[in-house]
Amino acid sequence: MVVHQLIPCLSPGDATGNAAIQFQGLLRQLGHASELYAGEIHPSFRALAAPARALRPAEDDWVLYHHGIASPLAGRLVHLRCRRGVVFHNISPASFYRGTGLEHALLGGRAQLAALAGHVDLSIGVSAFNAAELRAAGHANVHVVPLFVEPERFAPGRADPRLRAELEGPGLSVLTVSRVVPHKRMEDLLALHAELLRLEPSARLLVAGGMDDGSRYVKGLRQQAAALRNVRFLGKVSHGGLVAAYRSSRVFVSMSEHEGFGVPLVEAMAAGLPVAAYAAAAVPETLGGAGVAFTAKHFAALAELVRELHADPVLRASVLGGQQARLRQLSAEAVRPALASGLAAGEAHVQARAQRASPRRPPPRPARKRPRVGVLVQRYGDVAGGAEAHARMVVERLSAHWDITVLTGCAEDHLTWEDRFPPGRSRVGSAEVLRFEGAHARDMRRFNAFSRTLFGAPQDLAHEQAWIAAQGPVLPGLYRHLAAEGRRYDGFVAFTYLYAPTAWGVPMVADRCLVVPTAHDEPAFQFDAFGDVFRRPRCLLVNTPEEKALISARFPGHARARVVGVGVDAAPGEAARFRAKHGLRRPYLLYVGRLEAGKNVPWLLSLHARLRRAYHDAPELVLAGSGELRPSGDGVRCLGRIDEQDKWDALAGALAVVVPSQHESLSLLALEGMSQGAPLLANAASAVLAGQARRSGAGHLFSDAESFALAVQRVGQERDVLSRRGLAFAARHGWDKVVAAYREELAKIREGGR
Amino acid sequence: MKLLGREVTAQKVLERIEDRLRARGLLPADAGLGEGSAGALGVEPRVDPLSYNVHALEEHADPTVGLPLETHRGGAGQLVLVAKWAFRKTGQVFINEALSRQRLFNGHVRDAYAQLSAEVLQLRAEVARLKAEKEAAQAAPPKATPAKAGPAAGATSGKRAAARPARKKPSRT
Repeated sequence: MVVHQLIPCLSPGDATGNAAIQFQGLLRQLGHASELYAGEIHPSFRALAAPARALRPAEDDWVLYHHGIASPLAGRLVHLRCRRGVVFHNISPASFYRGTGLEHALLGGRAQLAALAGHVDLSIGVSAFNAAELRAAGHANVHVVPLFVEPERFAPGRADPRLRAELEGPGLSVLTVSRVVPHKRMEDLLALHAELLRLEPSARLLVAGGMDDGSRYVKGLRQQAAALRNVRFLGKVSHGGLVAAYRSSRVFVSMSEHEGFGVPLVEAMAAGLPVAAYAAAAVPETLGGAGVAFTAKHFAALAELVRELHADPVLRASVLGGQQARLRQLSAEAVRPALASGLAAGEAHVQARAQRASPRRPPPRPARKRPRVGVLVQRYGDVAGGAEAHARMVVERLSAHWDITVLTGCAEDHLTWEDRFPPGRSRVGSAEVLRFEGAHARDMRRFNAFSRTLFGAPQDLAHEQAWIAAQGPVLPGLYRHLAAEGRRYDGFVAFTYLYAPTAWGVPMVADRCLVVPTAHDEPAFQFDAFGDVFRRPRCLLVNTPEEKALISARFPGHARARVVGVGVDAAPGEAARFRAKHGLRRPYLLYVGRLEAGKNVPWLLSLHARLRRAYHDAPELVLAGSGELRPSGDGVRCLGRIDEQDKWDALAGALAVVVPSQHESLSLLALEGMSQGAPLLANAASAVLAGQARRSGAGHLFSDAESFALAVQRVGQERDVLSRRGLAFAARHGWDKVVAAYREELAKIREGGR
Repeated sequence: MKLLGREVTAQKVLERIEDRLRARGLLPADAGLGEGSAGALGVEPRVDPLSYNVHALEEHADPTVGLPLETHRGGAGQLVLVAKWAFRKTGQVFINEALSRQRLFNGHVRDAYAQLSAEVLQLRAEVARLKAEKEAAQAAPPKATPAKAGPAAGATSGKRAAARPARKKPSRT
């Protein structure tokens, strides 16, 4: 099924947009293709959603429109020829905003809600309270799908350390997280704070959330706060800042008079903060018996209550324990069935309306002898790239046993993702390839700038998903194909966790999917948004024990992992032929791969230059491959891309193969070098390369100019011994074992075992 | 004030709080905190889209009437407000001139919408009446089928028979 979502606005911190992104993840986990369409899109989220005007659903597609205040998209929805649903996030009562510009937007939103009633097949409230308002507005077929919070995003390590240090202090500090607007009743919080100051003179009040400094309401609040002490308005904060605010406070208090759900209440629970909240609208339902809800605003009494929650260890521990139990009820795992049953009811409603029987499921197909397998990979064919080459090698070898369809994009260049190959079916080698058009190309300059703003700091789900979308390639046709045809495949193999086809495709077919993550310790690996790729598939086929350890440390509870790696089918190489062809007379170090800064090639060049300056007999450096760099220098030979035989000849003649990259899940070059008797010189900062060198005993590591010079010297002295060890190590890495492992894992999927 | 929460022995906590408030002289000795009325706002009533839109169009049909002056910015935002106020004061005559056709157009939209929505309401009522009639007809017991009229009955149905013109037998010639 295809379930698109239509949202008025997608921007950082927007609650409706965040909910749509959460729903998108759940929909993918349920096997549905789901794209976001928005009326307004913040520049940093442009890759994540398409403009609302681009939405062209098929008649059988669902469109879920997220409704809040008045939006022209409500009118657009009722004119779409498809299955229509509304997700209601509630609307603040207009009575709080009389005489302001917002009043009409609020009333208009309610009028639109009522107008939608006769035109939707499914109405979803994010709380039972919202569901009651939907019914009051005339909606039938109403379901509740609550929002949820990912507790790991509020762990102490996710706090902005600078802000946390700034906010932390002895004594009682009360926090509220919310936009500073009238119906949130911040003036009541200030009244509570005034009472608290009588009990605890050092008490502090933190208010995190956006505010319109020019509004009369905020000006009044600031005046009121100035008369007190220890009140701090933090304004809109980053995710790290938000966690810092939660983690540096003792009690969370909400005085809001109207909440359709109350996400901050749940966030506070996730951050280990006891919650006290005015029991208005959906608040008691969101708390679900956890925390403390109060029914009157007796500020002196509330001050006593807050002090008890702060200082009474028994009461505090009991409340926190209850909140943890409530958190489990508001997890993605718990919410997903509610969404599934809502959609099923919507589908039944459509069928009933159309007065036709639900479509019969096709009879189960007889088991095929040769399994049909889909291979998900970001690019395929004659393209440069380690993971892509890995995928192709696996596909070529498994084609003898499986009917493989490679599901990929049309791009050749992984920097721009510009479509170059024609979309549709074709053949590459022994495999059928089905290519899908990319939604957009990538501007590397903008992408790198965006990455710099995100890396190294904790992020919320929306920003992480926006990064995955910007990383690309975004292939909407692929997800449609998986939703419509996924059941026709016996299994899937997905390559490289880092790209959108895997990150978004794997959750859709996770129960039949093997993932080859090729994980590195890189900044994006810290994103929780990749959790589904590591936790949901049937098995992770990793390259090295180091990669497995890395995944275990980052994603505890990941799917079963098996070290499989790749094999080496070495062709005999002739050193003399290579030397003669390229006019090489002196010993040389060899690098074969992408000539990119990301592979640390500039660092290798600088180390080699220093070596040449220090030693008159230093070996030359031969580089083969393509990329953004054009290496040159004393004793440096750049050959560009070379053919396969040339590569084997080059490896056979090399003094050593040098791998400067830090981010490797496996160095195929190292293995190929060993198969030709070439020792390994590798970057010591890479645990994977260090492991390969240690396990083979066929190489040395370097971390700076001195250790590089020493390693080159030792390779020269010990080349024969290292060479013998390398040959023996490579002989243990044959393709037969790799192919057997893939077949075994797919057989388990077909048998239904884990 | 009631306290709700599974992990809280509400009565005990409230008693402790009340004792402390009494000790501080904030609660009379014989009084409690009461119950409170959270959630008094409850579910918002339905806003009828047709009548809401008619009223909204009426209210906003005249574009020469400014909206309330507001700003979300502090500091410079106040200067902007003053500038806007001054612009309205000094330029209203030009605003009226520039938007005169828009005002006419909006008036037509308002009137057309009012007319159309009135007709929609009328049609809805008509559809509801017809549906109710249909349902009533379906719910009513079926009328007994009259017995087929025999030759003797012909005499009693003279009125009906007289109303129909006698059919001529077609001539075979």
